[in-house]
This record gives sequence, structure tokens and C-alpha cells, in this order.
Amino acid sequence: MRAFDYAMRQGWASLWRSRGSSTFAIVAIALAMIVLGALLLVTWNVEQLLAQWSSAAEFSVYLRDDATSEQRGAIESLIDQSGVTAGREYVSKGDALTRFRREFAELASLTTGFEDNPFPASVEVRVRSDADADGRAEELVRRLAAAPGVADVRYDREWLARIASGLATIRAAGLALATLMAIAAGVTVATVVRLGLYARREELEIMELVGAPLTFIRGPFIAEGLLQGGLGAVMAVALLGLTYGVVISWWGQDLNALFDGGAVEFLPPRLLAYLVAGGMAVGSAGGFAASRHAG
Amino acid sequence: MIETHHLSKVYSRGLYALRDLTLTVNKGEFVFLTGPSGAGKSTLLRLLLRQERPSEGELFVNGQNLATLKRHEIQEYRRGVGFIFQDFKLIRTRTVLENISFVPEVIGVPPAQQRRRAFQVLKWVGLQHRMNAYPLDLSGGEQQRIAIARALVNDPLLLLADEPTGNLDPDLSLEIMNLLREINAGGTTVVVATHDRELIRLVGRRTVTLDQGRIVEVA
Repeated sequence: MRAFDYAMRQGWASLWRSRGSSTFAIVAIALAMIVLGALLLVTWNVEQLLAQWSSAAEFSVYLRDDATSEQRGAIESLIDQSGVTAGREYVSKGDALTRFRREFAELASLTTGFEDNPFPASVEVRVRSDADADGRAEELVRRLAAAPGVADVRYDREWLARIASGLATIRAAGLALATLMAIAAGVTVATVVRLGLYARREELEIMELVGAPLTFIRGPFIAEGLLQGGLGAVMAVALLGLTYGVVISWWGQDLNALFDGGAVEFLPPRLLAYLVAGGMAVGSAGGFAASRHAG
Repeated sequence: MIETHHLSKVYSRGLYALRDLTLTVNKGEFVFLTGPSGAGKSTLLRLLLRQERPSEGELFVNGQNLATLKRHEIQEYRRGVGFIFQDFKLIRTRTVLENISFVPEVIGVPPAQQRRRAFQVLKWVGLQHRMNAYPLDLSGGEQQRIAIARALVNDPLLLLADEPTGNLDPDLSLEIMNLLREINAGGTTVVVATHDRELIRLVGRRTVTLDQGRIVEVA
């Protein structure tokens, strides 16, 4: 505890003494954390949206025009007994036509020239999110597609998979960039801390000669890196918050529309804490690398 | 207290700084090491402070073989050894009291004890009135007294001094030697490396003369 206390006091004093050069290290950490934080902000919001879409998964079973009421009953029974659905709704041919005319009013005139209603009757099924995730919904869709009276089953999850895959690519690229920037920031911290180490070489020599433990010799340099990292990360969080506030106040409605009506949210406290801890870890690593020259 | 058996220190290109040194220093003894420059006095002190390892032979201090100490054992050993250098090695950015309390501070002594002990030794060397001064504000003699106070703050069993009067005039040199004699009178073993023959004559203690790394005289 005394070693920790000594390390923190000396680390802070050293940071203050070399505040000019320390600013470079703090800014480097802040830049790395801003990239990482922005990446987290985007991916976290898109992930929330994907989760929302996944939990609202539905599929439609289109019935043949000549499907009998017994066949429809068998289909509905298959759906109800599958245990993977959260509900179903029968949409008759007439309902489908009405819905089309309501939702696509500008195209309603296209439906007037037909002698018969061209829209098929269907059963719309809401899928339980766990059944969507573990593939049981897919299995039900396959069974329904083969059932008598069924014209087609539409359960297009590919676009969700494509977005998830695109998100994974963005996340990987962003992580690679953030990692590179974190390494550069760690090297900057190590260089700055090492400059302070040379300034304190008299003290270090005495410490070695009087038998000071390694925790007392190296601790202050690790603490200095930790403080630089922490300050950089807090600065990054503050800048991210400020930018988020400005963006939301200017383009909030557009973004919310883009996100399917859901609000674009700032990072939750847990992720912000991880971000600050990450900055401190990078700073500590830089401080540790420098401290190896201390004794 | 100190025992060396056929102790040698060889530097690169086969240069012997110490050669086949066998010497015993008893507990509580005051010993001078003397000889011309390059005789091996400072090398022996560096070996005793475990800044270097012997190349050949054995070196025991208080029963501990210094050649085989591990890192944490070296740290522990050094806590029982005080040292004084010709250039004082004081930290310019710290006050006199801080220079002394720095030693107990970095080995984990509680803060209240650090300052109390530092003030005690500062009073003992008669410089308590300069406790808030910085080293560069002090004379050479005062700086060396501060270095002595710092060496004493841990109550060492062994005190090593490498040319402690090298930068001082004869009167101040004698003053420093008298302090070292007082420390020795308290039971601390003192080893002083100096080439000042006159000072050795005035103090009058056992003197080991080295030349080219060998003992040439014990008087």
C-alpha cells in the first residue's frame, strides 16, 4: 500500500513536472480512445438495431388460391404446435389488397385493372427470438414450405446476416486501426516517461544504492503512464460525448429515422468504463516499458 | 564483518582491478583503504556495496556471500549498508531534510518515522538549522555532513566511504573524519577509501594499502 501511495504521488508529481511533454502522450492516448470510442458508438448502436430486428423476426406463409380450409387448418396447427412462434395472424386475399392500397397509396391504381384479386392469402407468423437464433424457425419454415396448400414461405434473414457481417468487417478494421493507434500512444507514453526517468536519474541511483524495492523504483513510472492513459481516455470520453451531443442536436431526427425510429444512444456507462480502463492499460504498458530502464 | 578470500575483479581485456585479495575486517573496526589511483580501492567498495560481482574468490559480509545474492537479497543487504561518496550524491531538487528522509521513504518506512529519524540524524551532524535548504545552497563540508546523515538514517552495520574528503579542505576533512570516528564508536564498521596519507596519520587506524589490485601493506 505504501509502495502504491508512493508510486501515485511521485507519478503525479512527475507528470506535472513534465506537463508539456506529457500533453503529447495524453493527446495520443485520447486520439486512440476516440477512434475506439467512435467505433464502439457506431457498432453498439447498429448491434442494438440488429437485436431489435432479430427479436421482431416474422415470416409469411403464402397460401395457394385453391388451398382448402382443411389445409389452412393443418398449416395453422403445424405453426401452433411448433413451439417456436410468438403469435400468428391470418391475412385474407381481401385484407392483403386493402393493406397494399393503404401502404402504397401511390401504386393503388395498379390494382384496379384486375378482374381477380392478385394478392394471395397468407399466415403471418411472429418468431420467438430464441427460435430464430438457434435455427428452429428455419426448420419450421422448411416444413411449412413442403406442406399442402402452401404457395411460398418468405423468411429472408440473409440481409440481417449481411449487415451483421458488414458490421463485423467494420469492427475488425476499426479495431485494427485503434490497436495501431494504441500502440503508437503506448510508445509515446514510454518515450515521455523515459524522459522523466533521465531527469530523475540521481534519485534512481540513490534508490538502487539504499536497497529500495523494485516496486518503489519502477512504480512511479508505471503510475505516471497510468495517469497519462487515464487522463487521455477521460478526455476522449468527454470529446465523444460533446460530439455526440452536437451531432444529435443537428441531425438527431435523420439518424433516428435511419435507425428505424429508434433513438441513437450514447455509450452505456459499462462501455465508457472499459474505454477509460483501456486508456489506463495502454498508459501503464508504456510506463512499464519505460520503467524497465529504471533498475 | 568482512572477509575476502582470494578475491579478484577482472574487467574486459583481462585487466585486473583487484587480484587475489585476502582480507578480514572485524565487526566494529575502522579501516582505511589507501593507495594510488587505480589501486583498486573504489572497486573493493563497489564489490562491498554489491554494485559489482567478484570475478574470482569469495566475499562475505556478515556471513553473507555477496556473489550469490539474488536481486531482492541485494536490496535487503544494501539496507544495512551506508555509503558516502566524494561527490556527495545529494538530490538537488530536494531539501536537506527530504534528502535524508528519502532513504527511509523508498524502503517503505511509515511517514512519521521517516521524518523523525531524518531529523535525529540531521541534528546529530549539527545541521538541523539547514533542514529546509537545498544542497546547492550548502558548502562542501555541509553537503558531506548531509551525505553522512543520509548514510546513517537506516542505522547501518557497515559504512563505506569513497574519498569522503576528496573535495574538502584539510580542516573540513578532519571534521568529517571525526564524525566517522564517532559513528564507529557507536559500533558501526567503517571502511574509508582515501589517498590522503596525512589524514590517515591524524586519525591513526588500521590501514590497508593497495597497489595494482594487490595488498602491499597492512599497517
